[in-house]
Amino acid sequence: MPRIVLENVTKCFDRFVAVDNLSMTIEDRDFITLLGPSGCGKTTTLRMIAGLETPTKGRITIGDSVVFDSDEGIDISPAKRNIGFLFQNYALWPHMTVYDNIAFGLENLRWSKGDIDKRVHDMMAMLKIEQFEKRFPSELSGGQQQRVAIARTLAPSPKVLFMDEPLSNLDAKLRLEMRSELKRLHVDTDSTFVYVTHDQMEAMALATKICLMNKGVLQQYAPPLEVYDRPVNLFVADFVGNPTMNFIKASGRLLSPDRVSLRMLGHDLTFNCNAPLASDVSDIVVGIRPEFIRLEEGSLSGTVYTTLPSGMETTVKLKVGDEMVTSVVFGSVDFSHSRAMSFSITGSGILLFDGGSGDLISMGSLSGS
Amino acid sequence: MAGSRKKAVRIANNVRSYASKPANVITVLFFAILVATVCFPLLSLARDAFVVHSGEIRDVGKPMGAFTLYHWKTLLFDNLYDYSVLTFWRPLLNSFTMAIVACTVAVGFGGAVAWFITRSDIPGKKFLSTIFVFPYIMPSWSIAMFWENFFKNSHIVACYNQVGMLESLTGICVPEWVLYGFFPCAMCLGIHYAPFAYLLIGGILRNMDANLEEAATVLKASRFKILRRITLPIVMPALVSTVLLVFSSSISSYTVPAFLNKNGSFPTVSTTMRSLFNTAAMQGQGFVIAIVLLIFSVVILTMNNKVTGKRKSFTTISGKSGQVSLVKLGRARMPLAVAIMVISIFFAIVPLVSFALESLLEVPGDYSTLSLYYWTTTDTLEDRVFGSSQGILRNPTIWMALGRSLVVSFAVALISGSFGILIGYAAARKRGSRLARWMSNMAFFPYLIPAMSFGAVYLSVSYLPAFSFLRGSVFLLIVVGGIKFLPFASRSGANAMMQVSGEIEEAAYVIGVPWWKRMVRILFPIQKASFISGYLLPFISCMRELSLFVLLAAPGSIITVVLQDFEVNGLTQISNGINFLIIMIVLAVQFITNKLTGASIDKGIGG
Repeated sequence: MPRIVLENVTKCFDRFVAVDNLSMTIEDRDFITLLGPSGCGKTTTLRMIAGLETPTKGRITIGDSVVFDSDEGIDISPAKRNIGFLFQNYALWPHMTVYDNIAFGLENLRWSKGDIDKRVHDMMAMLKIEQFEKRFPSELSGGQQQRVAIARTLAPSPKVLFMDEPLSNLDAKLRLEMRSELKRLHVDTDSTFVYVTHDQMEAMALATKICLMNKGVLQQYAPPLEVYDRPVNLFVADFVGNPTMNFIKASGRLLSPDRVSLRMLGHDLTFNCNAPLASDVSDIVVGIRPEFIRLEEGSLSGTVYTTLPSGMETTVKLKVGDEMVTSVVFGSVDFSHSRAMSFSITGSGILLFDGGSGDLISMGSLSGS
Repeated sequence: MAGSRKKAVRIANNVRSYASKPANVITVLFFAILVATVCFPLLSLARDAFVVHSGEIRDVGKPMGAFTLYHWKTLLFDNLYDYSVLTFWRPLLNSFTMAIVACTVAVGFGGAVAWFITRSDIPGKKFLSTIFVFPYIMPSWSIAMFWENFFKNSHIVACYNQVGMLESLTGICVPEWVLYGFFPCAMCLGIHYAPFAYLLIGGILRNMDANLEEAATVLKASRFKILRRITLPIVMPALVSTVLLVFSSSISSYTVPAFLNKNGSFPTVSTTMRSLFNTAAMQGQGFVIAIVLLIFSVVILTMNNKVTGKRKSFTTISGKSGQVSLVKLGRARMPLAVAIMVISIFFAIVPLVSFALESLLEVPGDYSTLSLYYWTTTDTLEDRVFGSSQGILRNPTIWMALGRSLVVSFAVALISGSFGILIGYAAARKRGSRLARWMSNMAFFPYLIPAMSFGAVYLSVSYLPAFSFLRGSVFLLIVVGGIKFLPFASRSGANAMMQVSGEIEEAAYVIGVPWWKRMVRILFPIQKASFISGYLLPFISCMRELSLFVLLAAPGSIITVVLQDFEVNGLTQISNGINFLIIMIVLAVQFITNKLTGASIDKGIGG
């Protein structure tokens, strides 16, 4: 069963480094999302694993076979890597019918006519596109084209499936629908998925593991909830989560190895670390998820800056001194602007980042608010 | 009473509000101009094929201007001494086969190079793509002239037994059919249009979503299968339209057969048409051929519109096709690169060298006679040639003609470039209006008409008593050129205008910026490169044009006519020298404009 290993993979376009020394292992039957802002190298990474792009340096292994090794000069063509690839714009062949599009890959595997016919019809039934068999891609809607593209990719039963932002061209409603179908497909097809997206919600919802990249460098490679709860640095913390995490500047003083006195939001608070702390804490950024800020209780106070209800939940922004603090409240509430508001910081998922490097240094709870 | 007054006011108001929009005024104005310059001459041409001209009164036996079918009957069906076979059917067949072979060469060669440059890892792409278009920038007879320079030899009488490059370098004398007639004509046309095919097909390949091919690669299709099943079907419309355009340009080509038919073995429709026009008693038949050629190209271009119209959706442009995975040529990489490079250099650079060199040889082919004689002499060189009193640099005829050519080209560029922008503006702003559609179709119509037929159209106008002042005048050349090259300019103008959203202009409109200021200060700067290309292309095309003007220009009036005069009378040193001058001017103008403004010839490519 295939396991994909990337070792020190680097890709340069002229002098621009698109992917910098990337190493990661994708286990069999994982659903990996490559996540990051545009231009971070995620599509390049995907195309390198698929063989559509040649890395400048490094080594890639799929299953037992080395498909790329710059030192040994190995570069296996995408045709021989036993993979499927779903393109962002679907890349359906405009001069072929839906049937021909799906059958083409099977023809190349020299299947018999009967087998091809059966497989194509199975695929069309599975993706509910039987009625479009004789149509050309230009006669289909975006969502239908998407299904044809998926059918075409899945028809030869690839063990590894690569997808390059396959949902980004769909409207919001269809995107949510296809999202759940893709996740279901992953279970049903029993194969490994590698999925590129810049949408952190999509990555959270789909992946078994997220690979978050920035400027060609791997930031964190972990299951979605770990990325959400324990982001390794400020970039990851900021990129994942909506509304974004509160980052509050603070100066700290070590009271004991697991207790820090913090001066923040005009108050002196105590931070209780989950594990003993070794580093310097004089320059600190405190990361607090909006859901950890409880309104109308506690000793901290600010004024309401704005209230953004969205039905199920409400985002409330508070002005505390010069800082802005975001809170999420379940249900619909509406606070009048500029009214005074007390709040507290709760839970054990408060994060401390080093103010200089931005790396996570500790996790714990705040008391005294 | 009150009712009719109200109606009059309403009409007046309607007219006023219609006229207050510049796009409306331009549409109406150019509709009228184009009716006068395109439709009217065409009608005049049609009429000329059916009436008796002054030289034909005796043969037809009817008074001048009377209706007759004589020209058609004689040209198409007169069996006396095989007249119609020799003057119409054989030349037509010649032109037809020549066009088919030229087409095959152009599309095969140009298409292959386009594929290598866009889809493979062949080295030297930048250099190759720069020089490969040279033959297309050069005047259309340049390759023919080079062919003659290269292959002429002491065994062939028709080239005055002059020694060419091949003979003087290797001693090899090619047989006459290699130098004159069907084979060289077809080859030279093919090579001249190969860059055209390259630009068109390359453009499609570049715009074609590379993901389409990658999707097939991932599904284990072989290289060859991808080419056959995916790439070819998708570029097929572009391929067909290239084939048709090259075919229609080749079949009516005049210059190449005129240069490579010195032994008279290979008459084509256009060379025949020329000689018919030059014979007073046969002008009507010349007009018949012009109409036949016209019908040919209209049929071809209708086919072309059918093909491209129906399958336009094939050329999808995607956001990610920048990341093309190139075909690795492997061991064939270097040999292929060298082969293509050598061929391209041979037809792009070597001709230039040969023109310069030929003009410097007192005795053709004898490289020991290098001298500036033909550039600087004060001797009279050849009595038969109009104005051949002195060498190129001292010859007043040549310099006058060159100056006149520059003036004509400049005026033509000004007219067609500016008209093109205005027509493009009106067409873009009034999209969907019927009048605007007719206007832009008419502006494109001159493209369909072979250059020489277009010349014939205006020739027929100049024979009308009311327009006799046009005959042989520079003004006529400017009008003809301005209209003939309008399609390029109006197409690039329309494309450029379509790309600028209406809101950009409206933003200025609502704050009260007048129309001309919106054009000059907002629209022109935004699409500067495209608009200047709209001026550049007509200038270059006009500077090197011969077929269009050959029927209209007086002897010695413009440089290309002077060049042909020297060439056909065997003064090849002078004609080579002039050709070298023309190419240098064209290349310099193109290069300087490109560096200064970013405009380039392939932005507004055409026949």
